[in-house]
Amino acid sequence: MATKKTSATSGDRAAKIHAALEKAHRPKAVRGAGERPHISLCGGTACDASGAAALREALRDELEKHGLAGKVEIVESGCHGFCAEGPIMVLRPQGIFYPRVKPRDIPAIVETSVVGDGVVEELLYRDPATGEPVADERAIPFYAGQERRVLADLGTVDPTCIDDYLARDGYAALATVLADDDPEGVIAEVEAAGLRGRGGGGFPTGKKWRLCRENPGERRYVVCNGDEGDPGAFLDRSLLEGDPHAVIEGVLIAAFAVGATEAYIYTRQDYAPAVERLKTALDQARERRLVGEDILGSGFGCEVRVFAAAGAYVCGESTALVNTIEGRRSMPRGHHVRLVEQGLFDQPTAVNNVETMASLPWLIRHGAEAFASVGGKDAKGTKVLSLTGGVRNSGLVEVPLGTSLREIVVGLGGGVAEGRTLKAVQPGGQSGGVLPADELDVRYDYESLRETGARMCTGGVVVVDDGTCIVDLTLFALRFMAAESCGKCVPCRVGTRRMLEIFERISTGDGEPEDIGRLERLCDDIEEGALCELGAGAVRPVRTALRYFRDEIDAHILDKRCPACVCRSLIRYTISRHDCTGCHACYGACPVQAVSGDRKQPHRIDQRLCIKCDTCRQVCKFDAVMVKSAGVRTGGKEPALAGRRSS
Amino acid sequence: MARQKTAAPQRRGSQMHEVLEGIDFEQRQLVGKKKGVGLFDLVKDKGGELRCYSCTLCERTCPVDCIDIDYRAEAPELPWDVAAEKAAALEAQPEIDPRPLDAVMAGLRDGAGLVEALNATQAAYRYLPRRALEDIAAETGLKLSQVYGVATFFPQFNLQPVGKHLVEVCVGAACHVAGAPLVLEAFSQEMEIAVGQTTDDMLFTLQAVNCVGACALAPVVRFGDETMGDYTPAKARKLVRKLRRDEEV
Repeated sequence: MATKKTSATSGDRAAKIHAALEKAHRPKAVRGAGERPHISLCGGTACDASGAAALREALRDELEKHGLAGKVEIVESGCHGFCAEGPIMVLRPQGIFYPRVKPRDIPAIVETSVVGDGVVEELLYRDPATGEPVADERAIPFYAGQERRVLADLGTVDPTCIDDYLARDGYAALATVLADDDPEGVIAEVEAAGLRGRGGGGFPTGKKWRLCRENPGERRYVVCNGDEGDPGAFLDRSLLEGDPHAVIEGVLIAAFAVGATEAYIYTRQDYAPAVERLKTALDQARERRLVGEDILGSGFGCEVRVFAAAGAYVCGESTALVNTIEGRRSMPRGHHVRLVEQGLFDQPTAVNNVETMASLPWLIRHGAEAFASVGGKDAKGTKVLSLTGGVRNSGLVEVPLGTSLREIVVGLGGGVAEGRTLKAVQPGGQSGGVLPADELDVRYDYESLRETGARMCTGGVVVVDDGTCIVDLTLFALRFMAAESCGKCVPCRVGTRRMLEIFERISTGDGEPEDIGRLERLCDDIEEGALCELGAGAVRPVRTALRYFRDEIDAHILDKRCPACVCRSLIRYTISRHDCTGCHACYGACPVQAVSGDRKQPHRIDQRLCIKCDTCRQVCKFDAVMVKSAGVRTGGKEPALAGRRSS
Repeated sequence: MARQKTAAPQRRGSQMHEVLEGIDFEQRQLVGKKKGVGLFDLVKDKGGELRCYSCTLCERTCPVDCIDIDYRAEAPELPWDVAAEKAAALEAQPEIDPRPLDAVMAGLRDGAGLVEALNATQAAYRYLPRRALEDIAAETGLKLSQVYGVATFFPQFNLQPVGKHLVEVCVGAACHVAGAPLVLEAFSQEMEIAVGQTTDDMLFTLQAVNCVGACALAPVVRFGDETMGDYTPAKARKLVRKLRRDEEV
């Protein structure tokens, strides 16, 4: 056991720990926190890719010009969550929100909102429902509709500055836990709160800790699972990048509860900013005696390490993850292995997801009752989701468990692009299955989703509009699963490959009516026989597609047509004689010279040469290029498709 | 839909007990006709020799760990020259500067994991040279095959040198529905290589990656340190042509 009772009374001990926390905080070093004027620039991946770095330069120069350098801080925060509107800039403490900022907007913003106290109205976010500009970030419907607990500090806290975190009651939960010196009490609190694993499995966190604590072992480990391999999910990564101290505090609370002396935060090397910021955060915390031996003078010590591994989907499986840390191939150990008995280096180990860890400080600070005040019938609290795909407001959202999927996708996400209709939603990434638009009233929690055949899994909600073919989408999921299958067990290794082959056949028009039965049998066998959740996850997109989109699959098999005009073998590109102006744009762009025609004359596409690469449709300014599939047609004068095109 | 099950509640995990229940080990025969029950037998070739040569592969890969092999190596000396093969394999690879390896070894001695060491090596050389893998194996006391096994497990490790320009196309779910396969195809056609390959002039390497985390900008392409969003096949072709031109100048 790492904790030991001091001879002093518990009151003295608590006072000592709180005093130590007080001492660790050096508020003078705080940059831009609280009421001080500062400009928060989103440093999330999406905003960075849309030009946040150039913005930072422009802003620095402009502030210098006004003699404000050093007076108004520029804080490179973590992900603000509203990725669709990036790059995002927020002026605090006023909370003025500027979306899609360009370097040329900077002078006007600095002039009006930093030097003066007005707002540049034409640069503000406009409520799509009313068209009215909204200045206050909290009033934007996307933020107002959320319950931000785990994400509360994400986008406001400076991830490279521990004092900024400490100024927001950071590490106060850890101090409380250490002062009470009652690990069993912590576990009871977490159990009372009804917190379940946010990584997808949904195992009750308190129960896992209790098992880990009670199992005999020389020492215990806590591992924070930050290997987010699911394409389309970026919540763990954003948390690690934008609020690393919250994750570290959560890890320490977990370590204290199970009695672990060593903890790992497992993430991927290709998440370079996350690894870097975590390491900085750990160094800062170590320097303030918040990590390492004798934390805050309590006698409890825990060493926390960042383990930057390579990315593989199967590493998210806890036993595979443990194998990776031990330096083996990342293969799962099997259903019968229980990490709480024999985990890392054969010692009892508690593996928890990043989001689970990050929700612990809030839970301890506000208590189990407040935590459980929102949530579904079987699970309490909130869930962070990354909303992507054909949805308008893609980004990070946090909602109470039990919120309906419609509210998430249509209410917060703003639905699909103008002119498209919502077709389906993948509620939990690649292995979560797919739900049709008329099932959207399902509540987003573990059991309600389970009833529909889908799962929460990683929390990556991918929205699909009518420009996407379900066969193609399933094919994509299967291709991913077959590639990521580690190969240890036969049902998954061979089964996913067979399902992939069948779906490839269906998408090329060679499907047979018997394929449906074959798929169903494969689904049953893989689900039963696979060694880990990856196999069962590979089954889910197939099962749900068969259950909800049978007619679309039948159209591929029986009629040899793709209703969404996506599957390449079943479509052809043609040019409308009425709409083509003969501008030659497609003529030059076609990589295989399949387009012919003179200038100012309608062009034609040679079907023998066409490779269906979609380039002509994209370059056409007159929407003259149409996609046809045995009786159905898209393109032409229809609005541009938000998401489309197949492999 | 799931098949309706009338039997007892489904048991999770290993079903080994069912396998064992059906076997009379004394008589070495099967009792009952339960599905999935089997005995191992070793096949003999025409001359009556056992074909098994105790490679232990079945023992190592058995998903339920039900095979235990007790064996003695019959050939104390391997019938081929290992040292010569190793030297030849090393010869086939380009020379590397061994200095960055010191930092990797220091990291290993400092308690870094194998994957972390491989990451550091790739950061230094942009791929994993065989010599580095051998040094890591020597340092950690693992066999080269074990290190190689871990290195080949992760798609992000390159075992061959990569080109001057590394282009990574995101093929995550959001990028896929937004048209990433077409972008990937355009790159592949313009570079005249398949995905995962390097051009002969060592100028381009094309790779597909799963989600770079900028889904709002799908489809996304990562080129060097830059992440570029809203990519199109036309942009892809332009980029490759431009880089080719720059190289010729």
